Amino acid sequence: MGQPFRMRSSKIRPASLPDRLGYFGAFGGRFVSETLMAALYELEQAFREAWKDPEFHREMKGVYRDFVGRPSPLYFAEALTRKIGGARIYLKREDMLHTGAHKINNTVGQALLALRMKKKRLIAETGAGQHGVATATVAARYGFDCDIYMGTEDVRRQSLNVFRMNLLGARVRPVEGGTKTLKDAISEALRDWSQSVLSTHYVLGTAFGPHPFPLIVRSFQSVIGREARKQILGKEGRLPDALVACVGGGSNSIGLFYPFLKDLGCVLYGVEAGGRSFRPGEHAARFKTGKVGVLQGSKTFVLQDPDGQIEGTHSVSAGLDYSAVGPELSYYRESGRISFTSVTDDEALNGFETLSRTEGIIPALESSHAIAWGVRLARELGPDRIVLINLSGRGDKDVMEVARIKGVSLT
Amino acid sequence: MKKVPSRSNGDPEKRVIPYLMAGDPDLKTTAALLRSAKKAGAWAIELGIPFSDPMADGPVIQKASSRAMSKDTSLKSILGWLETIPAGDRPPVYLMTYFNLFLSMGLETFVRKAVAAGGIRGAVIPDLSFEDSSEVRRVFRKAGLSLVPFIAPTTSQDRMRKIVATGEDFIYFVSLLGTTGKELSDPRDVGRHVSLIKSMTQVPVCVGFGIQSPETVREILDVADGVIIGSRLVREENDPVRWGKLLSSFIQAARSVRFSGKRSTERSVRERSH
Repeated sequence: MGQPFRMRSSKIRPASLPDRLGYFGAFGGRFVSETLMAALYELEQAFREAWKDPEFHREMKGVYRDFVGRPSPLYFAEALTRKIGGARIYLKREDMLHTGAHKINNTVGQALLALRMKKKRLIAETGAGQHGVATATVAARYGFDCDIYMGTEDVRRQSLNVFRMNLLGARVRPVEGGTKTLKDAISEALRDWSQSVLSTHYVLGTAFGPHPFPLIVRSFQSVIGREARKQILGKEGRLPDALVACVGGGSNSIGLFYPFLKDLGCVLYGVEAGGRSFRPGEHAARFKTGKVGVLQGSKTFVLQDPDGQIEGTHSVSAGLDYSAVGPELSYYRESGRISFTSVTDDEALNGFETLSRTEGIIPALESSHAIAWGVRLARELGPDRIVLINLSGRGDKDVMEVARIKGVSLT
Repeated sequence: MKKVPSRSNGDPEKRVIPYLMAGDPDLKTTAALLRSAKKAGAWAIELGIPFSDPMADGPVIQKASSRAMSKDTSLKSILGWLETIPAGDRPPVYLMTYFNLFLSMGLETFVRKAVAAGGIRGAVIPDLSFEDSSEVRRVFRKAGLSLVPFIAPTTSQDRMRKIVATGEDFIYFVSLLGTTGKELSDPRDVGRHVSLIKSMTQVPVCVGFGIQSPETVREILDVADGVIIGSRLVREENDPVRWGKLLSSFIQAARSVRFSGKRSTERSVRERSH
């Protein structure tokens, strides 16, 4: 199950990255059109000022506690642990947050930044719809006008979330281009932003895209890992042996892992979507068959053909269905600090059912990838070990899709 | 006959640079359009290579890009194809596409093949920011290729100064906020920006995005040194005759500026701002 990491902890300085130009080693950067550069600088400055400002953190903390529902519990999955008969399994319950996933940690933070920058409108891309809902939610709460871009394939798969966004007062703009999924929604959101940049803030939903987005999203999401670290020390008196998170763009995984990067006793596993097979277009395992490229603002691992055209992806979960991965994860993959693996659609669906039936928790299909791998890992590690899995979102949104796959008609 | 474009400063010529999507609808048509552009007197061609995710382009060029994707139009095959077209049948070429295609081929390989193809002046890469471009510029320069720098209406003056310092053949001023193919709202606004850029450099300034009519060409060339015409022409790509006529009307408009003595206005703007 991967080699334990051997690098000296003194060589890992997570806070020193990204560098001044937005790079994590060889990955990152700002590969966008000149029109957007001024907005990226404005955003970086607003973020750095806010991050230094105790008042900003006080405000965030209040909103996290009273609106988002933080801290999220760290739950000992006793029934699942007993069933597996291996390591003790803990779940970080991001699924219990307002709107049902970790995405809200980031949208709250970015909404407060947008207020500081005096922007009037928020735009966002969404795959599974969770980030769209989380953005629509903060737009409603703070009085922003709001447009959400979503590929038509995802609109079909996640009609419930489309309606939720409408209820929250956001316009959902279906994107017909390309593969009609998250990647095309991001391109369309960037196109919108390049003409609306003076009045609009683009709430990018994952630790991806041009600098400073990977930095900003990681900073807001690392609350997951900070809480989890404290909670596990409280419950077990020690750190876990392994942490597991699913990886789409990478926001829930870097959010969990970041505060543990220097804890070399903790093995970190990122789980990508293995889809149906490793043939082009049938999965989203960027670290399996991808190579270094540039997509949508960032230099990182990208699924692409030999000519450099971006390959389509497939995953049963819309939120992992993306051709590239956050640059910071590419960096820690290259340095060996984070191990990456993948599970197939079928394995993820198994994880989905297992958790539903043994713990009474229906996980998001994205998080089901982490569950599937975490369960395997727990079995292999054996008792006396601790595995901490990020349950990044709840599965309510996926019920229709799972019914469709199982051939159950709900209408 | 038009003379070969010179790279020297102070070239009084008004440049019209049509943008073409290679392979839309097929490479045979693209070859015909290149010939037609040469005959009409285009100063250069911006040759688009289709990319799966053209994030700086509006709907017209996005569609052209997806039409061309399946037509053996990889960067590699386009470079090989250009080599087969006699120099007399095409204006000088600037390749325009997204950075991943260059990265995937490898920069050194790209410049080698580009030089071998002949007649390629450089490249326009809309998603390669100034901050991320120094390595590319170095490799290009060594091979005698030019990386065309962008300036946008949102570019600050300090930044503009740094960017123009890297200009060689021309500077690409993006005339509007948004993607290619939008209608330009106020040419006077463009004029103000272009005058400012020209006060900082002798490198010609060409304006692109949003140029839809000969009237706009005239207004812009009052101040700028050239225009890049994309979406408006791309819409006619499947009809080389119409395309050629439309291009000629843009070039006529440019020449009318050139011969109507508007240069004096421009020169005075430049002198004033010095």
